[in-house]
Amino acid sequence: MHRWFVLVAVIAAWAAVPVVADRQLVGLLVFTAIYVIAGLGVGLLLGQCGIVNFAQAAFYGIGAYSTAYCTARLGLPNAAGFVLGIGGSAAIAFLIGWPVLRLTGYFLALATLAFGIIANSMFFEWDLITGGELGVGGIPKLAIGAFVFDTPERFYYLVWIVVFVCMLLVRNLMGSRTGLMMRAMRDSPEAAASLAIDMHWLRTKMFMVGAALGSIGGSLWAHHINFVSVHSFSIERSITLLLIPVIGGLNSLPGIVIGALFVTFVPEFFSRFGDFHQILFGLALVAVVVAAPNGIIGFGAAIIDRWKTSLATTDEAK
Amino acid sequence: MIDLLRLQGIRHSFGGLRVLSDVNLRVESAGITGLIGPNGSGKTTLFNIISGYLVPNGGDVRYEGAVINDETVQARCRRGLVRTFQTPRLFEQMTVLENVMVGVTKLTSSNLLQDVLGLSGGKREIERCRAEAEHICHRFDMVKLLDQRAGKLPAGQRRMVEIARAVAGRPKLLLLDEPSSGLNDNEIESLRSWITSLQNDGLSILLVSHDMELMSVVQEVHVLYFGEIIVSGTMAMIQQHPKVREVYLGV
Amino acid sequence: MSFLMTQAVLAGIVNGCIYALTGMGLAAIFKGTRVINAMQGEFSIIAAIATVLLMRGYGLPYWAAISGGIASGAVIGAVVEIMLVRPMNARNAPDDSYLLLTIGLAMTLSACVLYFVGRDSYGLPPIGGDGVIFVSDAILQEHAAWLIGIVLLLSLVIRQFYHKTTLGLSMMAASIDPDGAATSGVDVRMMRTCTFALGGILGAVAGVLVAPIVPVNYHLGLALTLKGFAAAILGGLTNPMGAVIGGLVLGLVESLAVVGVPSGYRDVVAFSALIAIMIFMPHGLLGHAGRKGG
Repeated sequence: MHRWFVLVAVIAAWAAVPVVADRQLVGLLVFTAIYVIAGLGVGLLLGQCGIVNFAQAAFYGIGAYSTAYCTARLGLPNAAGFVLGIGGSAAIAFLIGWPVLRLTGYFLALATLAFGIIANSMFFEWDLITGGELGVGGIPKLAIGAFVFDTPERFYYLVWIVVFVCMLLVRNLMGSRTGLMMRAMRDSPEAAASLAIDMHWLRTKMFMVGAALGSIGGSLWAHHINFVSVHSFSIERSITLLLIPVIGGLNSLPGIVIGALFVTFVPEFFSRFGDFHQILFGLALVAVVVAAPNGIIGFGAAIIDRWKTSLATTDEAK
Repeated sequence: MIDLLRLQGIRHSFGGLRVLSDVNLRVESAGITGLIGPNGSGKTTLFNIISGYLVPNGGDVRYEGAVINDETVQARCRRGLVRTFQTPRLFEQMTVLENVMVGVTKLTSSNLLQDVLGLSGGKREIERCRAEAEHICHRFDMVKLLDQRAGKLPAGQRRMVEIARAVAGRPKLLLLDEPSSGLNDNEIESLRSWITSLQNDGLSILLVSHDMELMSVVQEVHVLYFGEIIVSGTMAMIQQHPKVREVYLGV
Repeated sequence: MSFLMTQAVLAGIVNGCIYALTGMGLAAIFKGTRVINAMQGEFSIIAAIATVLLMRGYGLPYWAAISGGIASGAVIGAVVEIMLVRPMNARNAPDDSYLLLTIGLAMTLSACVLYFVGRDSYGLPPIGGDGVIFVSDAILQEHAAWLIGIVLLLSLVIRQFYHKTTLGLSMMAASIDPDGAATSGVDVRMMRTCTFALGGILGAVAGVLVAPIVPVNYHLGLALTLKGFAAAILGGLTNPMGAVIGGLVLGLVESLAVVGVPSGYRDVVAFSALIAIMIFMPHGLLGHAGRKGG
C-alpha cells in the first residue's frame, strides 16, 4: 500500500512539472532525461559488467549526427535518424568491441578512451557529414505523424516516457539469465569461464546495448536543441556520462536518475557565479565522492539503515 | 568401461623449470580417483591443464576418447568437465542462490532479445535456473544460506557453495582441488558423504587432497612427486609403499 | 634518413619524453597507492604557471622560480592525499571512487587555473636560450636536448630510488604489503603521502620542461594526462620504467604516423596504433605479466 502511494505521488509530481514550472526548468529536465538514457548505457557496462567505457560520447555523437544528417540534410522522417543511429552505433560497437573487449581492466578502459579520442577526431575531420566546427543546424523538432513536439513541455513528456521504457528494458536485462551471467563475469572472470560463460561475446553484446542507448540519447538531444557541433562529443562528455552512474550509485536505476540530475542541475545552479562555477562543480563532485563513495544511493541506503537500527534500539529500550 | 578422462604423457615446464614429466592418469566413468603429493608437486598445474586454463608443452588430454587439447575452458565445461579452485572463487556480490544459478546457466539458453524484452521464453529459462539451483541447495543442506551474499560467508560455507555451483550444471567429471582446506571436521564429514552420494549418481571425480579421511572414498590414488607419478594404486597399497613413505615421512 | 624523417623522429622523442615523465608520475602513484591519478597533467600545468608567475610577478630568478614550481607540485600532491584520500581510505571506499575523486580534482584544478589566470598560454624561457643542435641535417632546440637528457636521467634516478634508498624501498613495501611493512616500522600512511608528493614532483618537472616548447594553458592538463595514461598502461602501469618506454613509443608512433597523413588524423593514427599494440602485446611492451587490474 505504502509503495503504491509513493509511486502515484511521484508520477503525479512528474506529470505536473510542465504545468507549474517555468520553461527553463522543463528544458533542463529534458536534458536530464537524455542524460539518463545515455548514462544508462554506461552504467549497464560499469555496474553489471565491470567495464569502464570512456567512449559513450562517440555513440552519442553517432546518434546525433545520424539524426542531423537524415533529417536536416536528406529530409527523411525522424525515425530514419534513430534507426541509422542505433544501427550504426551497434555496428561500430561490434567492430570495435570484438577485438578490444578481449582486453580487461585498465587496458580495456584505455582502449575505450583511445576509441573515444579517435571518434572525436573523425567527427572533426569528416566535416562533409558532420559540418566540423560549424556543425549541422536546422534539425527539425521531433514529430510522430502530425503531432509535433515543438515545445519543451511536449518534448518533456515524450523523453521521460522513453526513459521509462529504456529503464524497463534494462531492468528486464538485469533480472534475466543474461544479467546473471554478466554479474558473474564481473565478480570473477575465472570462475565464470569455468562455468562455460562465453565472456567475450557477452561483453560485446553489452557494449552494443550500451552504444545503442547512447545513440538514442544523442538523437533525442539533436531534436531538442536542433543543432549539433563536434565540440559536444569530446572526452569531457564521455567523462560526464561516466559520472552519472557513479555519482548516483552503481546498479541502481533510481541512482542513474539522481546522477543525471546532479550533472544537469549542479552546473546550472553554479553558473550564476560566472567563471567560478566550474570550480564549484569540481568541488561538489569531490565532496560527493569523499562523503559518499558508494554513490548517493549508497549513502542514502546507509542513512536509512542507521535510522532503522536506531529505531530498533529505541524500541528495545522502551 | 571407457575411461572418462585419460592423460597421456603430459609434460609441462615454466621457463626452465620442469613442473610435470610424463604424467599418465585415468579416471573411469562413475569413478573417484585421487591425486596426492607434497606442495609444489604440480597438482594445480595438472588441474589447470585438464580444465583448459593451461596448454601443456606435450602430451594429450583425452576426454570421452577424444583429444581436447585445443578446446577452451568453456567448451570443456559444456562437455561436462567442471573444476573447483584451491581458494573458492565465488561471485562475491551475488547471493548464494545466484551463485548456484550461474552453475545452471549452461543447461539453459536465452537470447538477448528475449532477455531485454522480458519475453516469456527468457523468463522461463531463468526460472529453470532458479528451480534447479534451489533443488541442489536443498540437497546440499544450504537452504538457510540462499539469500546470503557470498562475500560474507565463512570459509567452510564458501567451499560448499562452490561445489554446489559446480555440481548444479550436471557435470560428468568434477575436478576438486583441495576441497577440504579450511573446513572443520563436521564439514569434512559432510563433504565425504556428498562425494559418495554424487558418485552414486554417476558423477566421476578427480580429487586432490591432503586429508586422509576424505581420501578413504577414493578407488585409485596417484602419488605425484615433483611432476612425476611415482606410485598408483588403492589407498591401502600406497600407504604401505616404501617410496611413498620415503617421500611423505622421510622414512 | 631523410630530413623529414629525422625531424619527425626527434619530435617524437621529445614528445615521448614528456609523455614518459607524465606516465612515470602516474605509474608511481598507482604503484604506491593503487589510485589512478587523473590530475597528473594538472600538476604539470600548475607548476609551469606557478613558475611563470614567480618569475614575472615576483621577479624571482629562474632557478628559484623553478624550485617553487616543482615544490608546488609536491605540495598539491601531499595535500590532496592527506585531506581527501586518507578519509576515503578510512571509509574503505571502493577502488573506482578514487578515480572519480581524481577526475573531480582534475576538473576543479583546471577550472581554478582558468579562473585565476584566464585562457592565456604561459611559456617559460628555454634552457640554453635559442641555441640549436644539429642532428644530421635536422634541427633540435638546445632546450629539447636538455629535456631528453633530464628525463632519461630522472628515469635512472627513480629506478635507483625505488631499489636502493630506504625511502623508496619503504614506499614499495608499504604498497605491496601494508601490514608487513607496518610491523617493520614503516609509517604506511606517510609513505602514501610521499607517493603522491613524488607524483606531484614528476608532474611538475614535466610541466616546467614542456612550457618553453609548448606554452601551457588551462586546457592542456587533460591532454597531457591522457597521453601519460597511455604511456603508463603500455609500460605495465605499475612499472615507472615501463612508462618511459611506453611514452617514447607513443611519441614516436604519433610523430612518424603523421608523416604523409593530414595532421588532423594525428590522434587517430596514434591511438589506433595504441589499440593495436594493446591487442597484440597484452602484457604491455615489456612483456611481464605485471599488468594489474585485469
